[in-house]
Amino acid sequence: MAVLELKNLHVALEDGTEIVKGVDLSVSPNEVHAVMGPNGSGKSTLAYALMGHPAYEITEGELLLDGENILELEADERAQRGLFLAFQYPHAVPGVTVTSFLRSAINAIRKAQNGGDENPIPIPEFRKELLDRMDRLKVSRELASRYLNDGFSGGEKKRVEILQMAMLKPRIAILDETDSGLDIDALKVVARGVKELVGPEMGALVITHYQRILDYITPDFVHVFIDGRIVEEGGPELAHKLEAEGYERYGVVAPV
Amino acid sequence: MRAEALESYRALPLPDTTEEHWRFTDLKDFDPDSYGRGQTPAVRDTSAGMLELDVAGIATITESGVQIERAPEGVTFEPLTEEHERLYSLVGWDEKFAAHNAAVWKHGLLVVVPKGVELDKPLYVRVTNSSEDGSLFWRLLVVAEEDARFTLVEEVASTAADLRSYTNTAQEFFLEQGSKFEFVSIQNLSQETWHFASHHAQVGREAELDWIAGGFGSKKGKVRIQNDLAGEGATSRVTGAYFTDGDQHLDYDTFQEHIAPNTTSDFAFKGALRDTSTAVWRGMIRVEKDAQKTNAYQENRNLMLSPTTHAVPIPGLEILANDVRCTHGATVSRVDREELFYAMARGLSRGDAERLIVRGFFQDILDRIEFEAVRESLAAALEARIPQG
Repeated sequence: MAVLELKNLHVALEDGTEIVKGVDLSVSPNEVHAVMGPNGSGKSTLAYALMGHPAYEITEGELLLDGENILELEADERAQRGLFLAFQYPHAVPGVTVTSFLRSAINAIRKAQNGGDENPIPIPEFRKELLDRMDRLKVSRELASRYLNDGFSGGEKKRVEILQMAMLKPRIAILDETDSGLDIDALKVVARGVKELVGPEMGALVITHYQRILDYITPDFVHVFIDGRIVEEGGPELAHKLEAEGYERYGVVAPV
Repeated sequence: MRAEALESYRALPLPDTTEEHWRFTDLKDFDPDSYGRGQTPAVRDTSAGMLELDVAGIATITESGVQIERAPEGVTFEPLTEEHERLYSLVGWDEKFAAHNAAVWKHGLLVVVPKGVELDKPLYVRVTNSSEDGSLFWRLLVVAEEDARFTLVEEVASTAADLRSYTNTAQEFFLEQGSKFEFVSIQNLSQETWHFASHHAQVGREAELDWIAGGFGSKKGKVRIQNDLAGEGATSRVTGAYFTDGDQHLDYDTFQEHIAPNTTSDFAFKGALRDTSTAVWRGMIRVEKDAQKTNAYQENRNLMLSPTTHAVPIPGLEILANDVRCTHGATVSRVDREELFYAMARGLSRGDAERLIVRGFFQDILDRIEFEAVRESLAAALEARIPQG
C-alpha cells in the first residue's frame, strides 16, 4: 500500500500564482523516487507544500498519508505521522544546540505517537545513537554541541539534515536538492546515509536537478518535472537519458 | 535632609512625555501620592521565591519592615539608618522618584563586606509588597571594601498577581579597590504594580561589578541603572533579560559613565514581548575626557512574539576622550517564520518550537551568568512565560 499519495495536487503562492499544476505520485517504503527538473520548475515548492509550509496553498487535489488526508495538518503533525523534509537551505536556530534540538524533536514525536503522553527517550540511549550516527555520516562530534546550522558550512548543514533524518526515522523522507553544494566525497557519505535508511521502514522522494546523486542512490522511479507537472516517468534509465540529453527536449531553454 | 528631599519631591513635576527620558513612558494614569495612605498590614511573606539558594544571610523587606533572619559573621548585614555617611551620595533627590524615595523611605538594608573578606555563599534579600493600594519604599546601601568578594541576590515580588501597588527602590553600591561584587536583581512584581528603581554603583580601582537584571513583572515605571567606572582598571558588566506580556511596559534607562582611564563596561539586555506589551531601553555610554583606553559596549535586542508589541531601543554615545573603543547594537525582530517552520517540520508543536526559539534567543545572555542557580532559574522563568500550545 502506498504511504504518501499525491492526487492531482495543485499548489499556489500567497499571491495566487499557481506553481504546481496537478501532480499524481505515490511513494511507499522500500522505494526511491526521483523528481528531476530544471531550476524554476516548482520542485522546491512541491517539497515545501508536502511538508505544510504556510506560504504555499494547496488549491486543488489531495494529499494522503496512509489514506488519511493531511492537507489540514500543520508541519508538526505531518512530521509526527512520519513525514520528513531535508531542506535545501536549512535554517539556523541560534542558541539551540544540535543535541538539544534533536532531543526536543524526538521527544515531540514520541509524545505524539504515545497518545499525547510524554515518553522521553532515555538520555544514554539518545547520546549513543547520536554519536554512532554522527560518526557514520562523518559529522564532526564537535557539531553536537554547536548551535544548529549556525555558522555551519554548506556541507555540514546537508549532513546534519541527513543526521536528523536518521535520528527521527521518518517513513517518507523528502530530500530537497540535498546534493547541491556538496563535493563528491560528501555526496557519497550523504547518499550512503540515505540508502541505508531506505527499506521496509522508509521510502524516499529525492528532488534534484542533476542526476549526480542518483549515481549513488539508484531510484526505482524517475519523474521528470517541468513547469509544475510531471511530463515523463520511467525507471533509473530515464535519469541517465536526462543527464545525456538535458531538459531541452521538454522545451526548456538551458541556462547559459 | 528628609525635609530637603521632600521639598524636592514636591517641587519636581511628575515627568511627562515631553521630557526626552520619558518620551515612551507615559505616567498620566499614575499618581504616586494616591498609594500607601491606608494602614499597612503586617503580612509575613511565606511564599516561595523563584530561586532556591543556599545562602549566607537572609533579609526580608515588606511594607511593615525589615527582618534580618540570618546574618553572616564578620559582615555588616543590618537595617540601614539615616546616619550612614554615604547615604544619598549616589542616589539623592534631584529626580522625582529618587526624591520620593529619599523623602519617605523607612525600610533599608546596609551591607558592608570588610576588607579582604570573601563570602562563598550569596546574601539574599527578598522584597515583597502585599498591601492593596499600598506603597513600598526600599533602600539598599552596599559597600564592598578593598578586595572583598561576594554576591547579593535581590528578589522583588508581590504576594498577589493582581495587587495594585507602587514600589520605589533606591540602591547605592560602593566598590572599593580590587573588590568584586555580583548583584542579581530579579523583579517579578504583580502586573498592577508601578515600579521605579534608581540604581547607582561606583566602581573603584581594579574593582569588578557583575550585575544580572531580570525583569518579569510590574505594570509600568522605570529602572535606572548607572555605573560609574571611577577608578583605573574598573570593570562593570550588566546582563539583562526581560519578558513582558499583557499590557506591561518596561523601561530601562542605563548609563555607563567612564571617569577613569583603562575602564571597561559591557551592558547587554535582551527582551521578549508578547500581547500588547511594550519596552523601552535607553543606553548611554559617556566617556569623560580623562577616561582614555575605555572599552565600552552596549547592546539591546528584542524579540516580538506578537505583532502588537512594541520595543524601542535607544543606544547613545557621548565621547569626550580620543583613545577609546565604544560599540553598540540594537535590534527589534520577530520570530522568523522560516525558523519556526523548520522546527515544526521536525515535529515540534508551534508552542514548543516558539519556546525553543525564545530559549535560543536568550542563550547568549544566559551564558553570561556564571552563577548556575541564577542562570537556571532565569531560564525557567523565561520559558514559563510562553503559553503552552
